[in-house]
Amino acid sequence: MTEHVTADAAARRRYDIVIVGAGWAGSALAQRLGDKGWQVLVLEAGNGDTDTWPGFLDTLSTFRSAVAKVPNSAYRPNAAAPSPNVLDLAPVRNPRPGEPEFTAGGYFVQNGPLPYGTDYLRALGGTAMHWLGAVPRMRDEDFETRTRYGYGRDWPIGAAELQPWYAEAERLLGAAGHGQEQYDLGVVHDSRYEYPMQEIPRSYIDRYCKEAVEGEVITDPVAERDYTLTLYGLPQARNSTPNPRYRTDPPFRVRGAVGLPNFGERCVGNASCVPICPVQAKSLPLRIQAAFPRSVTVANRCVVTRVRRSGERSVSGVEYRTYTDPASPVSRSYVVEADVVVLAAHAIENARLLLFSELANGSGQVGRNLMDHPTVLSWALGAESKGPVGPFRGPGHTSGWEVFRFGEGRRRRAPFRIEIGNWGWGWATGAPMSNVATALGIGGDEHGEVRPDGVFGPELRRLLGSSVGRQLQLQLAVEQPADPGNRVTLDGRHRDAMGNPRPVITYDLSEHVRDGALAARAVAGEIFRRMGADDFTNHAPRDGVPPLGHFVHKGTDLAYSGAGHGAGTHIMGSDPATSVVDADQKTHEFDNLYAVGCGSMASVGTSNPTLTMMALALRSAERIHDSLATARRPVVIRTPDTTEATA
Amino acid sequence: MADPAATADVQDFVKFCVPLTGFTAFDLYATDMAGAYLDTARRQVGPERFDTFWTAWKQAVTGGGGPQDLAPTHREVARALVYLWYTGAWPRLAPAAHADLRREQANTEFVVAPEAYVEGLVWRTFHGHPSGAKPPGFGTWGVRPPAPPEVEELRAGLGVRDVAYRTGLDAEVSPEDIPAHLLPGFRSGRHVPPSEVPVATVPGTIEEGRV
Ligand SMILES: Cc1cc2nc3c(=O)[nH]c(=O)nc-3n(C[C@H](O)[C@H](O)[C@H](O)COP(=O)(O)OP(=O)(O)OC[C@H]3O[C@@H](n4cnc5c(N)ncnc54)[C@H](O)[C@@H]3O)c2cc1C
Ligand code: SF4
Repeated sequence: MTEHVTADAAARRRYDIVIVGAGWAGSALAQRLGDKGWQVLVLEAGNGDTDTWPGFLDTLSTFRSAVAKVPNSAYRPNAAAPSPNVLDLAPVRNPRPGEPEFTAGGYFVQNGPLPYGTDYLRALGGTAMHWLGAVPRMRDEDFETRTRYGYGRDWPIGAAELQPWYAEAERLLGAAGHGQEQYDLGVVHDSRYEYPMQEIPRSYIDRYCKEAVEGEVITDPVAERDYTLTLYGLPQARNSTPNPRYRTDPPFRVRGAVGLPNFGERCVGNASCVPICPVQAKSLPLRIQAAFPRSVTVANRCVVTRVRRSGERSVSGVEYRTYTDPASPVSRSYVVEADVVVLAAHAIENARLLLFSELANGSGQVGRNLMDHPTVLSWALGAESKGPVGPFRGPGHTSGWEVFRFGEGRRRRAPFRIEIGNWGWGWATGAPMSNVATALGIGGDEHGEVRPDGVFGPELRRLLGSSVGRQLQLQLAVEQPADPGNRVTLDGRHRDAMGNPRPVITYDLSEHVRDGALAARAVAGEIFRRMGADDFTNHAPRDGVPPLGHFVHKGTDLAYSGAGHGAGTHIMGSDPATSVVDADQKTHEFDNLYAVGCGSMASVGTSNPTLTMMALALRSAERIHDSLATARRPVVIRTPDTTEATA
Repeated sequence: MADPAATADVQDFVKFCVPLTGFTAFDLYATDMAGAYLDTARRQVGPERFDTFWTAWKQAVTGGGGPQDLAPTHREVARALVYLWYTGAWPRLAPAAHADLRREQANTEFVVAPEAYVEGLVWRTFHGHPSGAKPPGFGTWGVRPPAPPEVEELRAGLGVRDVAYRTGLDAEVSPEDIPAHLLPGFRSGRHVPPSEVPVATVPGTIEEGRV
């Protein structure tokens, strides 16, 4: 368990570095900088209950009792540091043409044409508490889509520069993967690269799909190109078996559950990584926190409200408020000073803090370029003759078809990654529970009358064996490039219970993204056809109710879900006139203010963003260390031991 | 079988839940949820109305009948009971049945208890395990699952009569050709509880995804 101090105690000292947020980014930076001997304070807005085993078990029970097992369902609401929830959105029945088809309640205010259907979590450990743990790298071309394909924004650094940091991040996260295969895919540059852990075994569904369509040539009707299907395994941050070929200096040690020794050292197939891995075999920032050096201090329930400016190009620290009762926050305000301020509070929260502090926004880009991976679902039943596929087993997905992610097709439409889902129709339809309801015929017809049709007893059991047992789902994650119109703003009229302004989100999908979604859906349909599976996908409104994320593109009904991949809101670039941070994630305008996290990413490609974000964070930690060391030269680095002596 | 430790009420409940659920008394007792489910059903339906329903169901079974012998409101209660055993949650009922039962509770789905979710029988119909519990072990997801047992085999194993366990359908549903209205369709959002998800549409009837 990590040592935590109170808000009061935290403010009594001065620090070298104050970090806002104890998610992946903040935890990685704190560990690296603390290890170098710097005095680091981490201010975390949320509660810290999950870092003890009883606290974690409570979270597990909350998940099990939830009707809607959405990502945030395992974590208790917190009015002092509210989190957005996918349950905040509701569709509008019979929407008027041209009007939004949804309403948004909860933490976000949404005023765009389409919903931003992505959440995050404000609790110790951050959003990663309910992440899936997919850690694919981005490929070279993903960093320069403007130059190569004429859309989006280029990064000021490229894949080559990030290779060692990727490897470092894979070590820190504890990634399991197939190095050679990722090299063949072109995302790993070193042909002999090995992941710290052996690949997570692929699912039977992966094998089923591979046997059915490997090598098939599929025409993408939007890109007007042919693509050959090749299945690739997915690198994942969950425990498998240590890789004997991984470098031994220093050796890689598997880390399991926090708060319970010798637990979670291997994934056992709970199949609930989102929202919670009951054994913590899925990698969590809590692991890094548990190993923080003494030079790192963590204070929970400290909601940072503003960054304080001290000079033309410098900031002096942050203001924060603490609370005791998450339900009815009555708060006290504090100020803490540090030589360096690092915002690591999540893309949207970082933007919110910069906007409210009125800092670093000379470019006018703070809050803009909000991205996600709009995800189009497609679902089908495999052929009865081929037998059950084994849904709802293992990690959320273990393989995918990658060929639509790269190449010239990107000029015509956004690229997409096809994730082969291991959890049946769960995401699309609420299966398997909804299968029970519809097979029984429960809930009434459109007039509310008891339905005639339904099956029971042995016939029900047999039917579900097939109707659930053969469920296939493809999750089509489409790249969304930086688009300044997609943005976070603040509006003093909308505040949370503590009085902090809530994020106002304006969100839409560009033509290029919509073309990508359309292509992805058509490709998925064709894959199902070749597999001999019955495609039940239907994104059209039902009884006047459009599904969330519904839009009609070129005559086709489509719908997307959020992927949880908020990015772009403090975008990176070399030109201060058009970007917020530089390649080190330092704000262009201040010498000691950094904004780290997915918010810095200039593009997200079709890779889940956290690995790239962590590579950047580790690189920034090095730069922050260098800048502090230079400023303090001649420097006496305080080691953890000397810290202890003076404390 | 009957669990000697269970009350007579619970023994009776389990016995007649066997044909309703398609699981053996042994399986039902093993969930350790029988008493909680009987309580839940009584509370949700109202003790007297539940008794009336229960008597009707027992009469149907002992008279060699099945669910098709139940009046519409009782049919809906029977469905709710099966849903409870299969998922650990009490579902939303057809509004007509809700009104007919003069229920005082809100007509919304809820999970009876965290353990109830874990003991849901639905997972066993496809050789699965509840998401987030009873993990089968490293790598098990790579193994080909066995085919589901056929209805004849299930009937024999349960010792239930050779009657139709279906309503409103002429013949047993062929797994080769499952009608769309017995499958779930797209949820308009994650807020829709599983028992309120609309039924699926027949593949290909809506111009969609074909470009
Ligand atoms: C359902 C879901 C699945 C996902 N799966 C994947 C995946 O498989 N692969 C992948 O790469 N990515 C995935 N992601 C994205 C991934 O979770 C995030 O990219 C990552 O966790 C972001 O880390 P972070 O540290 O930048 O931010 P966060 O994890 O959000 O951490 C920010 C921290 O800052 C704290 N904070 C916020 N505001 C304040 C404030 N004002 N003061 C003090 N503290 C504050 C928060 O409480 C939190 O602890 C997923 C996301 C979701 C929602
Ligand atoms: S499959 Fe299960 S054990 Fe493995 S990481 Fe996911 S939830 Fe944890």
